[in-house]
Amino acid sequence: MKQMFQTAGEYCQLMARVFRRPEKWTIFWRQFWIESQKLIIASIPLLIIISASVGAVIVIQTASNLESPFIPKYYVGVMARESLVLEFCSTMIALILAGKMGSSIASEIGSMRITEQIDAMEIMGVNSANFLILPKICSATIFSPLLMLMSFFIGLCGGAVLISLTGIITLGQYADGLQFAFRSWYIFYSMIKMGLFCFLITSFASYYGYYAKGGSLGVGKSSTQAIVISSTLILIFDLILTKLLL
Amino acid sequence: MIEVKGLNKSFNGKPVLENINIKFKPGECSLIIGASGSGKTVLLKNLVGLYSPDEGEIWYDSNNFTSMDLAHKKVFRKEMGMLFQESALFDFATVQENVMFPMDFFTDWSFEQKLERVNFCLNRVNLENVNNLYPAQLSGGMQKRVGIARAIAMKPKYLFCDEPNSGLDPTTSIVIDRLIQEITTEYQITTVINTHDMNSVMEIGDHIGFIHKGHLVWEGNNKQIMDTDCQPLNDFVFANNLARQLKKNSSV
Repeated sequence: MKQMFQTAGEYCQLMARVFRRPEKWTIFWRQFWIESQKLIIASIPLLIIISASVGAVIVIQTASNLESPFIPKYYVGVMARESLVLEFCSTMIALILAGKMGSSIASEIGSMRITEQIDAMEIMGVNSANFLILPKICSATIFSPLLMLMSFFIGLCGGAVLISLTGIITLGQYADGLQFAFRSWYIFYSMIKMGLFCFLITSFASYYGYYAKGGSLGVGKSSTQAIVISSTLILIFDLILTKLLL
Repeated sequence: MIEVKGLNKSFNGKPVLENINIKFKPGECSLIIGASGSGKTVLLKNLVGLYSPDEGEIWYDSNNFTSMDLAHKKVFRKEMGMLFQESALFDFATVQENVMFPMDFFTDWSFEQKLERVNFCLNRVNLENVNNLYPAQLSGGMQKRVGIARAIAMKPKYLFCDEPNSGLDPTTSIVIDRLIQEITTEYQITTVINTHDMNSVMEIGDHIGFIHKGHLVWEGNNKQIMDTDCQPLNDFVFANNLARQLKKNSSV
């Protein structure tokens, strides 16, 4: 319990140092685009593969479970849309990104800590937390909702490609299902979740990296902790946000 | 000048430094020597503000660094340069970007002005045509020299070096030592060097402080160290056969 409060205190202190006005906005924006490239654009190939295959799998599973003649075929499209938008494209993608982004951030900052690069910045008078962490948090939080949208679109396309290849249902039925009882709020709900989840991933991964100690083993440990804690928090906040927003 | 007054530092109740009083003068290479774990690095980290002393004060000329708030310390740190044991060059940046890093933050110079200063600093440490290389592409000695170039980029008044020769061969060590000494004299910098390399002590030790088990037990220079009767210092300096033989020959 004491450890938990200590971690929470250190995390808040670190965030207080992170959310300061950058020393120079030109440096901040330069880092912001670099981090957007590393965290967001570099995640797109993985996201395409996973979203397309999961979209296709959802279509197969839903179609094979809708045997009753009383349930219209276009429900395959409805189910694919709802599964993707409500849970997969935000929570599941965030859990995958927790592994990819979280380990990358924690190991990058952790390596800088143990090789004294962060100390070097501090001695120069640079707010290392602000310089290293703020661009990561901002780029991930701002652009991750776009990743969610992309994942949703690619998931739906994956389903459509599978349907056109296998003919489980017609593409027309699928398209009808995608439009049936559509609630645009679900898209915003999912984007909000994704933004918050990516804030949690980047801030906790940065925290564990920033306070890494004990050489390369310590860096590995900090990466693992970052993934475990951010995944757990994603699931907890998924429950909270779902209760609050739906 | 840097003055340390009655400095105490402990970790988890275990004292690491006790009642350290020492002065470091400008234009002199002041060496802090001692065995591994004696508290040298802790003293250096207290001097640069990475640790806060439990008791005591650190004065930079007429400024009490210990009692400064973070904002003042930040301004003050712009006058400090530090060379780390493993150089601590930024992996993500080229040599040029590494040396330019503090200028990007704290000057309004144009890119050309910054580049001119970078090239001056790199030339000063005898490095050429390395601007676009990354630290991983440099040898240990070259990394140290880039570290020195970065440390002097903002024309610091105070230079701190933590084990500058660690991992270097004797010839390169001497090059680095002489470079630090030249820069110290040329720019009248107050330089504090942590080392346990006796070659450095004999080469550039204008002022030497010996720390033993957290206490400053001896102060002098590289001439006085040969004739000291301080037993822990003798045990440290003349730890190997070669050094003992040299002392024996010099006394004969």
